[in-house]
Amino acid sequence: MKNYSIYILCALFFTVSCTKIEDLQDDPNRATSVSPDLLLTNIETKAFNNVSLNSALASRYLTFTDGINENQYYNWQQASFANYDNIKQVHKMIEESEKAETEVYSILAKFFNSYFITELTMVFGEVPYSEILATGEENYTPVYDTQEAIFLKVLNDLNDASNALATNEELILGDVIYDGDKTKWRKLINTYYLRVLLMLSNKTDVASLNVIGRFQEILENPTKYPLFDSNEDNGALVYVNIQDNRYPLFNNNELQTAYYLEESFVDRLKDLEDPRLFVFAEKTPAAIALADDDFNAYDGLYGSAIFSDNAAKAVAGNASRIAPRFYNDPINEPSLLIGYSELQFILAEAVARTWISGDAASYYNEGIKASMNFYGISEVSAYLAKSEVQLTSAIAMARIATQKHIALFLNTGWQMFYEQRRTGYPEFNVDGGGTLNEGRIPKRWLYPANEATNNAASLKAAINRQFTSGDDINSLMWLLK
Amino acid sequence: MNFKITLVLVLLASCFGYGQQLIKGTVVDENSIPLMGVSIVVANSANGTTTDFDGNYTISATNGEVLIFSSMGFKTEQVTVSDATIVRVTLVEDAAALEEVVITALGIKREKKALGYAVQEVKGTSLEKAKEPNLINSLTGKVAGLNIKNSTDLFQSPEISLRGAKPLVVIDGIPDRSADIWKVNSDDVESISVLKGATASALYGSVGRNGAIMITTKKGEKGRLTVTINSSVLFQPSFTKVPDVQTVYGNGNQGQYAYSNGLGSGSEGGGWIWGPKVDQLDPSTPSGFFETTQYNSPTDAAGNLIPIPFTSRGKNNIKDFFQTGSIQTNNVSVNWGNDKASYRMSVSNVYQKGIVPNTDLGNTSFTVGGTLNPSDNFKVSSSLTYNKQYTDNFPEVGYGPTNYLYNLLLWTGVDVDVKDLRNYWREGQEGYQQRHFNVSYYNNPYFQAYEYERGYDKDNVFGNVAFEFNITPELSIKSTSGINVYSLNRTYKEPKSYIGYGNKSLGNFTNSDSRYFDIISDLGLKYEKSFSDNFSLKSEVAYSNYFRKSTIASTQTDGLNIPGFYNLANNAGASYIATNREEKDAIKSVYGFIDLSFYNAFYVSITGRNDKVSTLPKENNSFFYPSVSGSLVLSSLFTMPNAISFAKLRGSWSRVSEGKIGEETDPYAYIQAYDKGTTWNGNTSAAFGTSLLAPGLEPETSDTWEVGANIRWFNNRVGLDVAYFEATDYNNLIYSPISDATGYESILLNGDEFKRKGLEFVLDAKPIETANFSWNILFNLSKFRRFQEEIYGDREQTEGFIKVGDRTDKIYADVYQTNTEGEVIFENGFPVNDPYQRYIGEDDPDWTYGISNSLSYKNLNLSFLFDGRIGGLIYSTTNQKMWWGGKHKGTVNQFRDDANSGVSSYVAPGVKVVGGAVSYDVNGAITSDTRTYAPNDVAVNYINFMQTTSNGHNTNYHYYKESFVKLREVTLTYNFPKKVLDNTPIHEFSLSLIGRNLWLNSKVPNIDPDSGVDALQAPSTRNIGLNLNVKF
Repeated sequence: MKNYSIYILCALFFTVSCTKIEDLQDDPNRATSVSPDLLLTNIETKAFNNVSLNSALASRYLTFTDGINENQYYNWQQASFANYDNIKQVHKMIEESEKAETEVYSILAKFFNSYFITELTMVFGEVPYSEILATGEENYTPVYDTQEAIFLKVLNDLNDASNALATNEELILGDVIYDGDKTKWRKLINTYYLRVLLMLSNKTDVASLNVIGRFQEILENPTKYPLFDSNEDNGALVYVNIQDNRYPLFNNNELQTAYYLEESFVDRLKDLEDPRLFVFAEKTPAAIALADDDFNAYDGLYGSAIFSDNAAKAVAGNASRIAPRFYNDPINEPSLLIGYSELQFILAEAVARTWISGDAASYYNEGIKASMNFYGISEVSAYLAKSEVQLTSAIAMARIATQKHIALFLNTGWQMFYEQRRTGYPEFNVDGGGTLNEGRIPKRWLYPANEATNNAASLKAAINRQFTSGDDINSLMWLLK
Repeated sequence: MNFKITLVLVLLASCFGYGQQLIKGTVVDENSIPLMGVSIVVANSANGTTTDFDGNYTISATNGEVLIFSSMGFKTEQVTVSDATIVRVTLVEDAAALEEVVITALGIKREKKALGYAVQEVKGTSLEKAKEPNLINSLTGKVAGLNIKNSTDLFQSPEISLRGAKPLVVIDGIPDRSADIWKVNSDDVESISVLKGATASALYGSVGRNGAIMITTKKGEKGRLTVTINSSVLFQPSFTKVPDVQTVYGNGNQGQYAYSNGLGSGSEGGGWIWGPKVDQLDPSTPSGFFETTQYNSPTDAAGNLIPIPFTSRGKNNIKDFFQTGSIQTNNVSVNWGNDKASYRMSVSNVYQKGIVPNTDLGNTSFTVGGTLNPSDNFKVSSSLTYNKQYTDNFPEVGYGPTNYLYNLLLWTGVDVDVKDLRNYWREGQEGYQQRHFNVSYYNNPYFQAYEYERGYDKDNVFGNVAFEFNITPELSIKSTSGINVYSLNRTYKEPKSYIGYGNKSLGNFTNSDSRYFDIISDLGLKYEKSFSDNFSLKSEVAYSNYFRKSTIASTQTDGLNIPGFYNLANNAGASYIATNREEKDAIKSVYGFIDLSFYNAFYVSITGRNDKVSTLPKENNSFFYPSVSGSLVLSSLFTMPNAISFAKLRGSWSRVSEGKIGEETDPYAYIQAYDKGTTWNGNTSAAFGTSLLAPGLEPETSDTWEVGANIRWFNNRVGLDVAYFEATDYNNLIYSPISDATGYESILLNGDEFKRKGLEFVLDAKPIETANFSWNILFNLSKFRRFQEEIYGDREQTEGFIKVGDRTDKIYADVYQTNTEGEVIFENGFPVNDPYQRYIGEDDPDWTYGISNSLSYKNLNLSFLFDGRIGGLIYSTTNQKMWWGGKHKGTVNQFRDDANSGVSSYVAPGVKVVGGAVSYDVNGAITSDTRTYAPNDVAVNYINFMQTTSNGHNTNYHYYKESFVKLREVTLTYNFPKKVLDNTPIHEFSLSLIGRNLWLNSKVPNIDPDSGVDALQAPSTRNIGLNLNVKF
């Protein structure tokens, strides 16, 4: 009896004690190493996904009626450093690319890093770049770099990437933008390079950047530096009717309930009799009986108006909502990082600025045509012939910017806001009595609040270096001075 | 089904009782006071009984047999049956046994006076009448330091914190890391022991670091075969708290409303409840009331909507939609035991019908348990429970269109009558489009109840086996093994046109399966010896092994082809959305303790434990931690004043380390790896996580010390227990934030230090005790604070603005700018946002308390419990949204009428800036302020003002005082006298009127603050019902 019991005891115990701790120390749910193309896909879906309602409010395309929106009324505060997460993914792609002994992903990495850091510096001014962990530095409190240093690195990296890609013979896998077409990647990088140079239009006198010389170099060597030839080349993410791959505003309830077109934008399109109005907007409820192509059937809410006036106008049925395709069509239209039409407007402006020689009007007309084509409008000549449309040198800057504004409707992220900030065109209204930043359009965003806790010394140094009035949304960054 | 089982058991139960000599009598104590509940068994038989309220008993036995009379706190008495049929027995108090015995860690029974730490026990009998569907809810207010926040929603677990941290749940000595309390039926509970703090539960190791709630189930007692039926039914006929909304204005915006297509835009007013007044007389319309087109308007020949009266049809929507909920519980148990063996089986069923139509919850358990003593030196005990929790539909909680109150009350104007929404499909679009007044933002509540179904089906098995074998009288070998197993299937049926936040569903079906297994086995040696009357020793050393494996796999469709057909085969998309996960972890430990007792007055206990865990990197995954505690019974050492019957001091210190990272169960958090990224058009992708990993991670550690005193007065009739503790949590495994510019949000490292402090009082008293009447009071009171002692990296403050030395529950909120006088600053008539969050108050209550009373008069017993919290803040989403959306009663005023007629008349009290400027440092402190002010004189539209501010600056930004008192529990029981039952097979019979959550008093408007959070909770219900308890 005695022995028997002890056996039971021991048997019971030892049947369950055979697992070694060491055998349980690998995560069966996550991979510790992946091939670089898996990272590329993810990075692309972040970089090319550029549909932003906030930007559409700030850029006077749309208005919002469910409360006073800080983007529409220009009283925003902090923005986020979320793009650094993307830079980290790019860094991981470089790491995995080196492990796999391939080079092409590291070349593309230069473009993506340049794109993400440019997005960041456009928002805030100085931001950390040279010391950040994602680029291999073991530093949790990175210093902020001057915009000059950041742009110099961006320009050099873009140029290097373009050159390196021309000679690289490896395959690009996981590419959901160009399906591995390296020529198209070179076109994108060069086109984007021109955008960055144009953003530096106030800094043509900075010798290290050599803005005009770099711009000319591209145009003078079309074989070495190919550019977009048509909308086919657009840096575009095409949406698919699969969960998480649909147009980001698909089935968005607020878009169909609380957003309306902005009045000055609608008026401009009406003045120009621009057929793109019909692909952007829906008729007002009050004008539902009019024909779809009747310009009188469309109206908007004034971006800077007293909020209650807008709300009353919307309730009265006198404001156009956005065209239903934006929330009904899971594919709708591609999201652009940069498109062919923008390139044409960049070139037109460069001619107007006498950076390059050429016919500004033909670039300008090509830009309009490309935009119309993007929206499926093929008949453009009548529109181009209008005197309100035609490019004349005296008002070239305003007209180019106005057409760029129309062409970038609810696309290409915050680019149009930055363009307007740089050139002042087209005018974004602040005279309606409702704006909350003493009638000013902010020039930047405040640094993220947690930087004050996590990187205080670097942040303070950067603020003191740049702005006399502290971290303020109305201060001018170096780029704009 | 239950009734059949009951019948069988009743038949079984009536088989006993064959002709023998009937012995009657009374059991009294030395003062001739009758003793109830004295156990009487016939030695070496299954025959037994207990005395009734008056100390009377009846038992059959044959001449020469021995009757054993036993009762806790008395010496056992044996009487040999002779010819006498009336046997009066006097039990003598056992001084040593008088002291209460409680169950401590690992199920070890110890005298309460020997404990160096705080333990509070709740008897199972106090839980068996006024039941909650979740056992833990029934502990609310009954244990000092245990704070339970009860949810008002169906099938939502309460938030439990013991001394400010989440305690371990232990069932029969086996830790239940899945912490599923729903699986324990209160009828099966013998007692619940709450081990407060780390010392008390140090033997459980890291998992017991925050104290433990020890549930001991019934195992079968010595005595005759008894069958017990315990049955209750509770109804939820009314609400203790329901939002009080305005019924003056209806749907719409700016005083306008006209339905066109339900998309919400234009004249439909964007879903706001800032529409026209209802019931407005208008002589120009056919009805005599203001008329407008509505979702249920008839159409004319041309298909245009015809205006209909805009009236307050929906005044009773709450009453009309919610139904009377109910909770039925039935339990049948069979108990039998003698010297060699005891056995208990029990079957329980709990069925709860929700207040939302088509929602319910079933919970069924089968339990068997028993003990065997085949020889004097060998003891086996075991129990096994199968439990099933099942529902086809229970409500989703949280703010949003998935919440019933959101659709029914908050975002529906009084012009909509919910009764009219019972037909919830749009004509001609059945299956595709719900019918509602707004199909962009809201769900028809009936559509939601009957079409959006969330199923839950969980099978639990848990149990344990324990052996003890005495090698010598002093030395024994012990083994305990326990398992927790479950499989859980959850389904989510989402109909087409269902509205989620910002999204309209294409119809979807999700099927999710989880499996869980854990096993814990302990093998040890026990040594127990009394060296003399004045010195005894008890010690154990054991090896313990814990292993867990859990998996989850979930598959979801990407849209549905056939509406209403919920099967993965009905997927409309190109592929399924599927995830799965597997987790395994293990802990191997060696632990031991020594308990010493001197002169029955001085007690010392020392414990030690070493854990090796799989959840930390190999270098630092094995670690040791000790504890020591002691108790000094002053009343045994010194002569006390007459009034004092007992006095004791106690103290303890412990260190417990833990190798678990974060609150979640993820055992692999210390491994850096890639997550799945967005799959684009079939291309899978990967992304790297947001956290870095510091080298050399160590376990996190808590050092706790505690002192306490227990004094009893007036022959034990009044007792006070006081405990004070301080715990230092250091080496915490934290995700320390780093600059986002690094590409990472945080780094996982050992850092930060916190101090927890708390004070607990337990007062019990018997103000009145006579033969027929007694009154018992138990009062629990506790306070808890947590402080930031150190911030990693020598920072001024945390991301949440907490500085060293601050309470960690300080709340910083988005506020408006104010001038030095505290007046709100306005621009264009609207308040100006402060770019920095500001301090607004503290979250934790100052005191948590519970007062229970029990009054007995003859066969009648009344008990009731009040409990509540004092101080602290609660953020109320309900109140904020009511102000914002236009439903708050405070919005009924002249300004609103003005806004409705297009007049901007609201001038908010405050100032506007007329010159100067302000600048801030990076932490938001003002560095210079040259602003000058004039009174705000800009009149704005009242509706827009509320839509922008939610009246936040007048309501402390919707952080309300959380103080409340609740009448939690009332039970009125009548025990039928023995003589009434004499001629029936029934031995005991009681009937109770029960009520829960009957009355609430709090300063927070519109919500029940009990749950501690308000994300638009369900209305708080009053539960009233009956309980029936029969013992055969």
